[in-house]
Amino acid sequence: MSTPAKPLPPAPTAPGVHPKPLWSLKPQSDRESGDAVVSNLLLHWFPAKVFKPSLDWTYSFWLGTVTSALFLLLILSGLPLLFLYVPSVERAYASVKDIEYVVTFGSWIRSVHRLSAHLMVAAVFLHLVRVFLTGAYKNGTGRGQRREWNWVIGVAMLLATLFLSFTGYLLPWDQLAYWAVTVGTNIASSIPYLGPTIRELLIGGRTIEQPTLIRFYVLHIVVLPAALGGLFVYHMWRIRKDGGLARADREALLREKAEEVPGRSKTYTLLGVARGTAPAIRSLTLEAPNLTVNAVPDLTRRAATATLGTIAVISILSTLVRSPLEEAANALVTPNPAKAPWYFLWLQEIVTDTTFHIGSFTVNGAFLGGVILPGLLIGLLAVWPWLDRSPAAATGVWFARTRRGQNLVFLALCLVVLLFTLIGTLCRGPYWHFYWPWETWPEIPTRI
Amino acid sequence: MTDRRDFLWKGGIWAGGLGIATQGTASLRSLVPNVSYDAPTTVKLGMPAEFPDGLKFLPDERLFVFREGNVFHAISAVCTHLGCTVRAEALSQPVEKAVGGAPLRLTHRFLCPCHGSRYGGDGGNETGPAPRPLAWYHLEIAPDDGHLVVDLAHEVASDFRLTLA
Repeated sequence: MSTPAKPLPPAPTAPGVHPKPLWSLKPQSDRESGDAVVSNLLLHWFPAKVFKPSLDWTYSFWLGTVTSALFLLLILSGLPLLFLYVPSVERAYASVKDIEYVVTFGSWIRSVHRLSAHLMVAAVFLHLVRVFLTGAYKNGTGRGQRREWNWVIGVAMLLATLFLSFTGYLLPWDQLAYWAVTVGTNIASSIPYLGPTIRELLIGGRTIEQPTLIRFYVLHIVVLPAALGGLFVYHMWRIRKDGGLARADREALLREKAEEVPGRSKTYTLLGVARGTAPAIRSLTLEAPNLTVNAVPDLTRRAATATLGTIAVISILSTLVRSPLEEAANALVTPNPAKAPWYFLWLQEIVTDTTFHIGSFTVNGAFLGGVILPGLLIGLLAVWPWLDRSPAAATGVWFARTRRGQNLVFLALCLVVLLFTLIGTLCRGPYWHFYWPWETWPEIPTRI
Repeated sequence: MTDRRDFLWKGGIWAGGLGIATQGTASLRSLVPNVSYDAPTTVKLGMPAEFPDGLKFLPDERLFVFREGNVFHAISAVCTHLGCTVRAEALSQPVEKAVGGAPLRLTHRFLCPCHGSRYGGDGGNETGPAPRPLAWYHLEIAPDDGHLVVDLAHEVASDFRLTLA
């Protein structure tokens, strides 16, 4: 049985196997540029070539990149805070006070965390507005595109961001936190039949106590970030699957009109090789080389600029803006007025304005304004791609003429939300009475 | 027809699904509390004689206790809209009004700092988003030491008065 051991043949050098273990961020050739994408873990989710107009600052404003940079900053600044914060009703407030006043750089780190969170809510909202106004949730020319589902993922990410903010500002266990939990969980409690059970599950009992804090803490540091991270990965993957940014479709559509290529079966550009087999492979890279650039360095440079710019702005702002900390949570005294953070003030405004009576029947504003209306708004947002009947040519274009009506409706809704936010922020005083910003509030005794 | 290979395949899928479902159910069920460490709902408030004539606010119970001579009643300070603690504001002129068929001297009104609900001195919701009147709670005298006792789990109608002999 013993055959003499033969020397192994030399390993074949197949094309596509990259002999060099290192990559260059300043590639000198297309080959080196492609190598960077293929052999670098952090870059592997980029395409090798990108459609140049998709990179324009004024098309996307890079709001998605800014948002992910803020998410990164939140994770980075959250880590030291995890070591310093104690999730107990007795010690939470004191530990945040320590972070603010005793820990070296503590107040800066907390400020980075807080400002990133505020700006992330704003950036996510602006990103959503951009995607809507450019019709970027629409499917253009590629096969197997599912952009509408990526929009739905985006809406879910918006919700995750808002819940992260909500759970985050509860943790200091100050007055803002305590009364925000009270109001927030009572909104859940206003749902007929199920409400009280949901509230009990959320706060882990019938009163706001230690079980409440630990529940919101775990949601804030594990459950929601993991959910958002997972959704983020899927969001990115879908962009690749859908052939890059919606703008690339637009360009392909225009070229098609000019060329009238025969053959019904085609696969979309190299930017996104769509599903399904096709005999004819068309490549934007080959057909319009002047419109494509290498991902490394053109995409990476811009992404790095957006990311580093965001980090720089937050770092500097955080030295200038201190994070507020209200008095320690006091179940005995509700602050007057008790205001939510700015991005929830439009909700606080509508729960105020939506109680009405029809005869002896009362509609509770907590349910109508706190559950039904926001639910409808989010639902409408989520199904909008299926309501949108505009032609594929309106994909990836700012203010497409064929989408003028829906853009106006959308902007009107945004305006209402902004208006309510402004009223809540600037015009509400003690007992939620209306005061113009230049009016002074009357003196209200703090104790009864 | 199910052959052995097919049977084992399906069995594996079911076993996996069942395992995950069991783990999930157990994890979620563990988060539903079995024991409540909430404060008891029946609270001794002190001797009736210690209560001033008019209104006394008890922050721990979030309760207003009213006294008019030897007649007591208690109204919740929890706003029926979203649960903030309302504040009492003294009226410039007390109002006599029949509440629940019995006369009552109203000395205050109640305002909510969160969304601006306003209640009358009998707890009735007047303006703002509050959907219901403030709750009235049952009062009694503890048989052992004569303390005034409120039962926060026992809502009563607005004709409730505790009259001491």
